[in-house]
Amino acid sequence: MITRYCLICIFLCVACSTNGQLLPVNQLHLADSLARAGRFFEAGIAYERVLFNQPDSTAQLAAVAGKIGCLKQQGRFAAAVQYINGEVTNSYSDSTLLALRHDQITCAYLAGQFENSLSLLERLPYLHPDGPTETPVMSVVRILSLNELQRWPEAAEAYRKLLANNQSDTLSTPYRQLPRLKSEQKAIALSTFIPGGGQFYAGKPGEAMLSILVESAGLYFGVTNFLAGYYLSAWGVGAATFGSFHSGGIRRAEVLVKQYNARQAQQFNAKVKSELLKQVGQ
Amino acid sequence: MVKKLLVLVGQAIPFWFLVFQSQTIRAQTPADFGKEWRFAQYLSDKDAFPEAIYVLEQLEPLIQTAAQKDSLVYLRGWLAYTTKELTVAHQKLLSVSVSSPFYARSRYFGAYCLVFAGNRDSARVVMETLPIPNSTFRELRALQLAGVALLQRRYEDFDQHRQAFRYTSYALVNEQNRFNKYDSTLRAEKHRSPFVAGLYSAILPGLGKVYAGKPKQGIAAFLPILSLGLLTYEGLRKDGPRSTRFIGFGSLFTLFYVGNIWGSVLSVKVKRNEFKREYDNKILFDMHIPVRSLLN
Repeated sequence: MITRYCLICIFLCVACSTNGQLLPVNQLHLADSLARAGRFFEAGIAYERVLFNQPDSTAQLAAVAGKIGCLKQQGRFAAAVQYINGEVTNSYSDSTLLALRHDQITCAYLAGQFENSLSLLERLPYLHPDGPTETPVMSVVRILSLNELQRWPEAAEAYRKLLANNQSDTLSTPYRQLPRLKSEQKAIALSTFIPGGGQFYAGKPGEAMLSILVESAGLYFGVTNFLAGYYLSAWGVGAATFGSFHSGGIRRAEVLVKQYNARQAQQFNAKVKSELLKQVGQ
Repeated sequence: MVKKLLVLVGQAIPFWFLVFQSQTIRAQTPADFGKEWRFAQYLSDKDAFPEAIYVLEQLEPLIQTAAQKDSLVYLRGWLAYTTKELTVAHQKLLSVSVSSPFYARSRYFGAYCLVFAGNRDSARVVMETLPIPNSTFRELRALQLAGVALLQRRYEDFDQHRQAFRYTSYALVNEQNRFNKYDSTLRAEKHRSPFVAGLYSAILPGLGKVYAGKPKQGIAAFLPILSLGLLTYEGLRKDGPRSTRFIGFGSLFTLFYVGNIWGSVLSVKVKRNEFKREYDNKILFDMHIPVRSLLN
């Protein structure tokens, strides 16, 4: 009973002596507990509050890391890239700055800023000449970013380097069999001279048959009307139908090839991603 | 008896601690408000706008003085302006009182948000009472009023407000010159008649759209109607007026012909709206730049 009474008094004394305000360390604990409870938005504000109160360098670093973690948990990767941009101008130690830049590169990739992530990666050796700039995770981000941009020869080279560093078999890479992309020009040429040819080439036989049917119908109408002496109908309906569906078919073939190539690239990138995760996980 | 008294006093200590602490916190409220407000501004400076708005919303129950209320609504309005929530922006910014140090900034930006949100009459009333601490601001207010006059196409009001232009301030001279150009262009705008456009299209399909200022659309409308007209003529000439060919193509021709007349009538209104929107955007842009230059 007496112990409990004394504890209450001590608690109230501490609360009064700190003027009812949380110390930076306590603010950090509060932010951590909010983050643990999954309230990342509020936790992000609490980490900012720690930084606003200009704490010592340890608490500052913990708050910055916490804030970045909260932004990542909310899926706000672009905001995280921007936030780290502001933080890397501070006078942190070289190793901390390197860690922040690594985080920024990962966030840039996750935000879909593939060019940005590659550009940030290229800058690392100049900004940190002594640091281990190309970590396995950074190599993975480089390979994945190059893949997304369909720069496969460079991605293959980076992949080989990663395997060599991991002392894995450099011969068994998914880049030995690159996806076979179809030519848009070839699809256009095929559809120009053979109605439906471009659609067949793009792997859509149903659309090809429909194109052939409609263009043939237009042509048939034009020829029969011409032979029957309806020259204006032959031109205005038959030729117009054939011409409009023919030029539409050419454009459609181009679109279909683009869609096919995007699907192939996506499948290949997914395959490389799973292979990479296996390699890095080993 | 003494022992019981001591126990009672001892039990009362935590109560008095609580009373003391609550008074301390009450006394600290203005300081806490200031710190929280600065924290919200710090978040705003770091482009963390949703976080700053959240902090300001939590701050509302702590308001005790009119100055605190002004600071809060000013910052909330400024955040709304930055995040392009124009309705909230003008509501908050225009509720800042005259005693606030943010008053001038709030009035100018609030009035701009009001005009941008389309409330031009209200914006004009607000702009007439904008604070003018010096001659540059007198010109700025005249420029804002001239901008609203142009947006409302009140050319006499514009002439009146441009009397205050001196064309000497670096922050205003380009916009003042451009306003004069917009004034000339808007006054010279031809008011085309939808009826005349429809009549022209009835005489020659597509001509109404050319008259409305859309020549490419006119040609695009003319060609299919000409084709359908020729097909109808062929059906009539070869198969007679009761033939399916004549009736089918004739119906299509009629549909396209009437549709084109109606389209020409509408195209006059579309063109007029496009012209209006283009110049409204130019005027709004030129109203905004000097406010940002002089008050940022």
